Amino acid sequence: MTTGTGMTKEQGSSPVRSRSLARRRRRDSAARFWRQYRTHRAGLFGLGALLLFALPALTAPLLVGSDVDDVTDAPGGPLEDPSTAFPFGTDRFGRNLLGLVIWGARVSLLVGLLAAVLSVAIGTLIGVTAGHFKGWYATVTMRITDWFLVMPTLVLAIALATVMPRSLLTIVVAIGVTTWPTTARLVRAQTLAVETRPYIERARALGGGHWHIMSRHVLPNVMPLVLAQTTLIISSAILAEATLAFLGLGDPTVVSWGALLQDAREAGAVSSGHWWYLVPPGVAIAVVALAFTLCGRAVEQVLNPRLGVSR
Amino acid sequence: MDTNDQYGGHHRTPGRVRLVVAAGAAALTLSAALATPLSPARPQAYAADDGGRVLTVAVAQSVDSLSPFLAVRLLSTSIHRLTYEYLTNYDPEDNHVVPGLATRWESSPDKLTWTYTIRSDSRWSDGRQATAEDAAWTFQTMMTDPGAATANGSFVSNFEKVTAPNPTTLVIKLKKPQATMTALDVPIVPKHVWEKVDDFSKFNNDKDFPVVGNGPFVLTDHKPDSYVRLKANRDFWRGAPKFDELVFRYYKDQDAAVSALRKGEVSFVAGSPSLTPAQASSLKGEKNIHVNDAPGRRFYALAVNPGARAKNGETLGDGHPSLLDQRVRNALFKAVDRKAVIDKVFQGHAVEGAGYIPPRFTQYFWKPSPGQELTYDPVEAGRMLDRAGLRKNADGRRVGKDGKPLTYRVLCHATDPNDKAIGRYLQEWWGELGIGVTLTCLDNVTDPWLAGEYDLAFDGWSVNPDPDFVLSIHTCAALPATPEDTGATDNFICDKKYDELYARQLAEYDPDKRAALVKQMESRLYDLGYMNVMAYPNAVEAYRTDQIASITTMPAKAGNIYGQDGYWSWWSAVPADSGDSSGSSSSTGVVIGIVTGVVVLAGVGAFFARRRRATADERE
Repeated sequence: MTTGTGMTKEQGSSPVRSRSLARRRRRDSAARFWRQYRTHRAGLFGLGALLLFALPALTAPLLVGSDVDDVTDAPGGPLEDPSTAFPFGTDRFGRNLLGLVIWGARVSLLVGLLAAVLSVAIGTLIGVTAGHFKGWYATVTMRITDWFLVMPTLVLAIALATVMPRSLLTIVVAIGVTTWPTTARLVRAQTLAVETRPYIERARALGGGHWHIMSRHVLPNVMPLVLAQTTLIISSAILAEATLAFLGLGDPTVVSWGALLQDAREAGAVSSGHWWYLVPPGVAIAVVALAFTLCGRAVEQVLNPRLGVSR
Repeated sequence: MDTNDQYGGHHRTPGRVRLVVAAGAAALTLSAALATPLSPARPQAYAADDGGRVLTVAVAQSVDSLSPFLAVRLLSTSIHRLTYEYLTNYDPEDNHVVPGLATRWESSPDKLTWTYTIRSDSRWSDGRQATAEDAAWTFQTMMTDPGAATANGSFVSNFEKVTAPNPTTLVIKLKKPQATMTALDVPIVPKHVWEKVDDFSKFNNDKDFPVVGNGPFVLTDHKPDSYVRLKANRDFWRGAPKFDELVFRYYKDQDAAVSALRKGEVSFVAGSPSLTPAQASSLKGEKNIHVNDAPGRRFYALAVNPGARAKNGETLGDGHPSLLDQRVRNALFKAVDRKAVIDKVFQGHAVEGAGYIPPRFTQYFWKPSPGQELTYDPVEAGRMLDRAGLRKNADGRRVGKDGKPLTYRVLCHATDPNDKAIGRYLQEWWGELGIGVTLTCLDNVTDPWLAGEYDLAFDGWSVNPDPDFVLSIHTCAALPATPEDTGATDNFICDKKYDELYARQLAEYDPDKRAALVKQMESRLYDLGYMNVMAYPNAVEAYRTDQIASITTMPAKAGNIYGQDGYWSWWSAVPADSGDSSGSSSSTGVVIGIVTGVVVLAGVGAFFARRRRATADERE
């Protein structure tokens, strides 16, 4: 009886303990990650800059009000100079540019994140399956990847944005489906490396199917790479969004940084010297793209064991 | 006719230009500010290699065709005004008809036979005499060859016979009286050159330069979307132009064109369709630059899809059925604040819309009576929609007869910033009424336009002193024969009462009676609510006074320079003597360019420095 209860007790407590162990392990690794990340000054700078933009963007409805992009009851006159009431001046409708830049951050960040996630998701899916299945499947998918790789991304995205209805989703899809090939290549290479390890063979011998191996063993091992790649792709996605909006391919009624630049161009702000119409959204795009790149590189260095050796 | 809308137009814009324009625009914007400081202060544009005086005009609109039988765009038809003579011309002073190729004209008592005396002092640029035979051949070709009737067919559809009994006499016999006989805006081409053409619907007149003509200028070269070059015709009967050469140079980006004007690379900028208020006000303060801000000849309207159909009765497209109700159309327009459009979007560089024909043409200008006018009144608009059976649902959205919330698709020209700006206002004005708006901005609106796949659309036409053409595009006769064909119609309007009035005005020779009929037509068009004129935009254009000493506006008092009904502006332009004042004043654009350049370079430098350091860390 006693032994029996002891047995049940042990059986009952072991999953709990392993779960808490796992939790502690994760907490430790997160702390380790943060400790190492902290040593990258550029990464910290990037993170700080991101917070600087993300916080106002998240709280924009409270900060500037959701009617900041209303044209009918715009507070100022068209193209007013910067003043205390309008620190960045006003746009061609008389709207507060500071408010618009903050409001535009929501769209630019959202589109950048979604497009990067979509792009990396496609890339990871193709990369892992191509690395795992090899054979004719890998050949075919990799040739498709090559084809997308040599296509000029912007031209392809413009073509897509032209034929699809004009909306934010279109822009997300246009960027997402054109920027995945590099991720696919990277992930495939990593998958091939992981799959040669002995424990994969062991798992296979124990009866692990394709899905089990890919999701339980390969994916966790390529995840750090995917994470770093996502952070890096966000910055190019934000730039691509701004480019497409600037070229007038976005939804003309949505306020984003690229759309603000397009508005400024159409109002003739460049040749008439209304620099405050151009500079804030332009600087915002540059800083956020830079911040994501800095973060991405720092994350990459922390997570990638081969890069980490030197530290 | 040079009636077509100036800004790319919904008519026959080639689709493939799209990417090039988009990419080019971006490239130009980005490079313009940076590139200008490096170019010489006074480039060769003003003085040609042989020392001649060159007048350079910045344009953006692509040439649709250089064949007078096909061209409808403003730039192309302006070039035809410059290179071919028309039978008659309009006086730059007040638009009255003056002699062109014809010196005199008279009609028979029944007004069905018109006899024109052709001048004997006009020569083609290859040395041959321009005769009545050329004019007769031009009209006969348009009457017999459908390909040649593409652009100006409406002028000759009522002709019975055209003959040239001798080199100085042209006789036109009509089927019915026609009021436009002294305003036949048809370029007369040289028979001995054009009779060799096989297919008029394909021949674009752009292979063999110089093109034989008899206008004040001779077309010497054209590279699509790059430049159009014209040389002064020294033997022009009215007198040679003062400039030796006229060049239309392409600046697809308006900011780049304005920068080029500041630098003196071009002498004249018209903008497409006009300079923005910001550009105009910044140029006003500039030395040696004159801004011409004058009432334009365009109207700017919100067109409604009246359920597009062809002459054979087949319908096409998918216009919203609720818009077939006149109350709905009128209610929508009642919720459009035209005053805000003028004040906010055009910033005063336009006149509030009323009738179809701009106030500049005083004879035909019509204003709705106070009882008839659809004044801005959103509350009343809401009530009208209620009465039309479009009630609000629980979410505050109006629902159509099919129970679905109403959302209208508004077609807009991506090339015209005003379309987009007003589209944003519409979204909010009609949003208040409970109606959604989807703004579809395209570089090339031709395809959905001709297919009738829109609910409402931004529309605009330049109006000639004789309004026949812009009136004709709303008649049932202008509808396409079948849904597959392309008709001359603007937006598929077909109204019996309007057509009746149109036929009566065309047959009316008494100017006052005709004007009264035209005004009745405008009134009918206003009530129908298919063509809602929001504004008459000004022509806002600028030129360098140190390159052009004087230039004729049309009409003389407060008139436009670019896109006139005639060749007056470029023919009359006098070169400025002084060649000393350099165009490189301290322009803010350039300063911004330099500053931006430095900032970008610094940013890139810093970035690469970081990267180097980062990779240095990575290296062991």
